[in-house]
Amino acid sequence: MGWTKWSYMDHWVTETPQGPQPPQFNRAYMDRYVKQLSALGFTGFDTFFFYLHALGGMYGSVPGFERFLQDNGFDKITGIFSAYPNATRYTAPHVRETHDRIVADCTNTLRACEGLTGVENFIVMPTSTYFQTEPVTDDTIKVVADLWNRVGRLTLEHGMRTTCHFEFWGAIRTREQLDTFFRHTDPEYVFFFCDTAQHTIAGVDPVQVFRDYADRCTGFHFKDTRTVDEHEAYRTPPDPELMAPGVDRWFYPMGEGGLVDFPSLMKEIVRSGYDGWLTVEHDKAELGGGTYAEATAVAKWYIDNVLAEAQAEAEAEVAAR
Amino acid sequence: MRDTLRWSYALNQWNYRLDVFVRHEDQQRALKTVSACGFDHVELASGTGRWDNIARPEVILLNHGSHQGFLDFLRRARVQGVSSMFWDPQAPAEEEEGYAFRSTADPADHDAIVEWARPLVDFVAGVGAEQLVVRPVGSAWMSPPLDADGIKLVGEVWNRIGELTSAAGVGLALHYDCLGAVHTADELRALLAATDPATVGFALDTAELTVGGIDPVAFYREDAERVTHVHLKDTRYADTGEEYRMPGAESTMLKGGAGRRIERWFFELGTEGGLVDVPGFVAALRERDYGGWVVVESDHGGNPAELAMLNSWYLQHELGIPKR
Repeated sequence: MGWTKWSYMDHWVTETPQGPQPPQFNRAYMDRYVKQLSALGFTGFDTFFFYLHALGGMYGSVPGFERFLQDNGFDKITGIFSAYPNATRYTAPHVRETHDRIVADCTNTLRACEGLTGVENFIVMPTSTYFQTEPVTDDTIKVVADLWNRVGRLTLEHGMRTTCHFEFWGAIRTREQLDTFFRHTDPEYVFFFCDTAQHTIAGVDPVQVFRDYADRCTGFHFKDTRTVDEHEAYRTPPDPELMAPGVDRWFYPMGEGGLVDFPSLMKEIVRSGYDGWLTVEHDKAELGGGTYAEATAVAKWYIDNVLAEAQAEAEAEVAAR
Repeated sequence: MRDTLRWSYALNQWNYRLDVFVRHEDQQRALKTVSACGFDHVELASGTGRWDNIARPEVILLNHGSHQGFLDFLRRARVQGVSSMFWDPQAPAEEEEGYAFRSTADPADHDAIVEWARPLVDFVAGVGAEQLVVRPVGSAWMSPPLDADGIKLVGEVWNRIGELTSAAGVGLALHYDCLGAVHTADELRALLAATDPATVGFALDTAELTVGGIDPVAFYREDAERVTHVHLKDTRYADTGEEYRMPGAESTMLKGGAGRRIERWFFELGTEGGLVDVPGFVAALRERDYGGWVVVESDHGGNPAELAMLNSWYLQHELGIPKR
């Protein structure tokens, strides 16, 4: 039997009478978006903190939106993504004086999730951009770790695990920095979220880092890349993700000739005993003329046909032990 | 789709201009989309020229070497086969005497049209498809109205091509469209009466009939024995003002260039305000033990992948058909 807990991370853009827009454009477009994910067989839905109020407005409340998901075969909203990619004087994870404000923001997001079935992951980018944070020292990482230890304790009280999603352009990006961060964070409060493309771009093997932190891993973004950053693009001001010279596009859907070995990762997931959500993320699917709709369908095809086979192989191997 | 009915998906909407939908990887993405939505057969639409390499038989074979090579290409995306192929002999093709304009309404053109049909019949048979689906007659605005004798003449050429398809072991299905010179229910029944039921069937398109003012459920119930192929799609409009008679109706009517300026006529199943009673029609198919293909079409309605997913959602959630 295939993996039953596939969720979709909400980056979509669709065509509307006002041009390309996120499906949060209005209730009708949001309904169509959910139905499309449902038709493919996704059962979890991840979204950004900044969409929660719009969803509440369209469906009466955020739980009202979740009920619409459930009417269409979903289990629930599985993850909420929150981030401070741009350091400001108000919010910057490496600046201890801003931590109270960040904790207050997180509290607001948790309030917006009240009444939901059970969001599992409170997904955060642990730092802002590298160029705003550097020099990245052990002390810098310690300050960041202190913040997420606080937030982790808070979200756990609401049933959600704070789980860290590392960007290739963030201040914690190398394997050594990851290890330092996890050493400074409490395994009871701070977890690991494995984004396959981000780690690969940063020169970190996502399969190996999952193998090493499987006991703290609470989720994945399955997405691909074709480029390892070998020329310090991650330090590009003002933005390495969309403006790095020489790299027009960092992220690609899985199964289309990228660098990430997804079947190996799938096998490693099965071998580890991990039984949580796996999430498809399409970040910038429209670059190069693609559409989110087709990327999503093709991703689910890859899950149903290629990853299901890898899963079955690994399960047979585990059963034979 | 795991069902007693056989479901297929039409690829026509992906190929919206001669120089798109050409690269094999783009075609693979469309095929994977259809497969992920639960369909394992596709309907092809005939075209013309070097870029119609998933449409024009000669060009498909040039690309894939053989019928089997093309099937292997489909199966890479877990699409198991071709249900059917659509052909409009009134649409000029360079392979058909260098873009010759010919009409099934003109007996002088019949020999040529029969010859044009041969590569399509061979291809449909070669890939194991079941139906050659054809546009039986050109647009109403392009010719004088057809009288009873005129309709009989149109029937004659399709009887000749029906003999070809039967000999090849495939079916021939005449497809009604809302712009065609055979327009009313009486005209349509006259055309069916002019053809041999043993060799010529009817391709019932739910939206096209509705736009043309014919109730598809009632028509099916009365003429079920002639229906050998189905196109399932919805519409929000009927052509109540005879817009199909406007010059250039392909654009003036179907693209909203004039008349009521309706820019989109065809919609996905379950569309708000849809006029087709889809559950009623599918129930009627089941009542009569319909054994042909039901091809879901998103025919010029919006983003093809979005519509494929919405159609899949409708089949799963509104008609209760499991995807696998």
